[in-house]
Amino acid sequence: MIRLFTYLYMFFLYAPIAIIALFSFHASASLSFPFEGFSTQWYEALFHSSDFMTALTNSAIVAAGSAILTTLLGTFSALALMRMKGRIKTAFAFMNFAPIALPGLFLGIALVIFFSLIGLPRSLLTVIIGHTLFTFPFFVESVRSRLEYFDLSFEEAARDLGASPLQAFWRVTLPIIGPTIAGAAILAVALSMDEFLITVFVTGSDTTLPLMILSMMRRAVSPTINAASVFMLVVTIAIIVIAGLVMTLRRRRLELERAETAE
Amino acid sequence: MNIVNNSEPIILGSQASHTRQRGKIDKKILSGYWLASPPLFFLVVFFLIPSVMLLVASFWTSKTFSMTPAATLANYARALSASGFYDSLWIALQNGFWTALLSTVISAPVAYYIVYRTRSNAVLYLALVSWFSSYLVRVYAWRSILGTNGVINSTLMHLGLVDQPLEWLVFSKFAVVLTLVHIMLPFTLLLLVSGLRDIKKDYLEASADLGASGATTLWRVIMPMAHKSIVSSFMFTFVLAASDYVTPQLLGGRDAMTTGLVIANQFRSVGNWPLGAAMAYLLLCVFMLVYALLLGVLRAANLAPGKRYHD
Repeated sequence: MIRLFTYLYMFFLYAPIAIIALFSFHASASLSFPFEGFSTQWYEALFHSSDFMTALTNSAIVAAGSAILTTLLGTFSALALMRMKGRIKTAFAFMNFAPIALPGLFLGIALVIFFSLIGLPRSLLTVIIGHTLFTFPFFVESVRSRLEYFDLSFEEAARDLGASPLQAFWRVTLPIIGPTIAGAAILAVALSMDEFLITVFVTGSDTTLPLMILSMMRRAVSPTINAASVFMLVVTIAIIVIAGLVMTLRRRRLELERAETAE
Repeated sequence: MNIVNNSEPIILGSQASHTRQRGKIDKKILSGYWLASPPLFFLVVFFLIPSVMLLVASFWTSKTFSMTPAATLANYARALSASGFYDSLWIALQNGFWTALLSTVISAPVAYYIVYRTRSNAVLYLALVSWFSSYLVRVYAWRSILGTNGVINSTLMHLGLVDQPLEWLVFSKFAVVLTLVHIMLPFTLLLLVSGLRDIKKDYLEASADLGASGATTLWRVIMPMAHKSIVSSFMFTFVLAASDYVTPQLLGGRDAMTTGLVIANQFRSVGNWPLGAAMAYLLLCVFMLVYALLLGVLRAANLAPGKRYHD
């Protein structure tokens, strides 16, 4: 019973996505069964559109920028959380999480007012800042539980043996936490590629992939939107799967190593 | 980045080693503060200050896209005196309530299945992958399925089952809630699974051994222990769904103006930022009221014990 329900649940989650993927290859422009044959014409139209290429480039720039910024800030947060205790730790962890406890709408309009009052013109830079505010809490959340088990005495041992704090980080801590950080960084790329609730407000005239799809949806129904949606879907799902693999493979290896040393 | 100067003086003697130990702990915590400062700086500048500015701006006056500093409650008065604001709030709260309720209730059995019936995480991972598959794409998917020229309607007409497209499918509360539930399900699933993982199977077995029926175990054992994750799953979904401005715009039709959409329009087209800011803070206050109300109801229904049983 409950197994059947779970299968239905998964069907409900994936069926709509499967349907638009199917119709993105439809030979005719209509969204109707029975199917009239396969064609890649909508994808061809998409890749020949200069709007699409611009949006794609912008999305890539923003995703890279915000992922780098997120990784830098998030690694500092993770290292800090490993060392903190008690109430201060709780407060700092809350502060890290707070931006995603609020709706994206709220963050978007707060940033618009802020940027306009400090006189920072809206551009891809402001989009990167907005995205980082959104990806950073996810980064810290996904890294935190995995780093709880990191043993600070490794670092202390390195320090006792004469390493500088930077050396200890570079030669001891980073090799251990690296894969977790890398996985979370890839996750940040995927989140940024999809983000539009904040982007709508903090962008100037630049458009990103989700913004392009949004404006296409407002104008007309065209199978090119299906193709663009499926393209975006494939990109984000691929990124997520890679992130998941990076994080789990690392854990498998650690478990293996632990099993070996136990023997 | 200067992390912390860690040079330790060499002290001899037994008492000194105690001091050295303390100094080491302090240094560890101190280096934690140093490390926390760059992210803290970012959060203060781009999160805390903008949120405060939004609050301050809600007391300012405005003329199309330009704001003048003031200290007036006019924006709040204007928002609260317009009947449109209450209408939009009512629609937003309904969207939030139904989406949160349905997502939590539908995800609960699946979370139970994942935690107690299967040892693999495949279902959870698959659900999470769909969570990260673009929000917007899923809104679009439902629009192309439910739309007037969408999959359901054109197929029905093609087969000659209906002459006119079924209008109620799209641009209705039904379409908005269906889409929002679809978007929120994986998120509620994740929260519920992590809540149930804290409840060991032993408790359920003990309850069954003592003669409790499945329903009693659910109501008297699982619910009190999982109530925190149920409440957070409901509240997060409620806030996200009630403040959404894209799904109602693309699937809700003209009568589906939610407060989120009204606020977004103040910033995009109308240009009265202070009024939008005031409405945003009013919406946050309403969310907090809903949260307090939910906790009150759960306490009255005896489903929210003050302490956690398992620690």
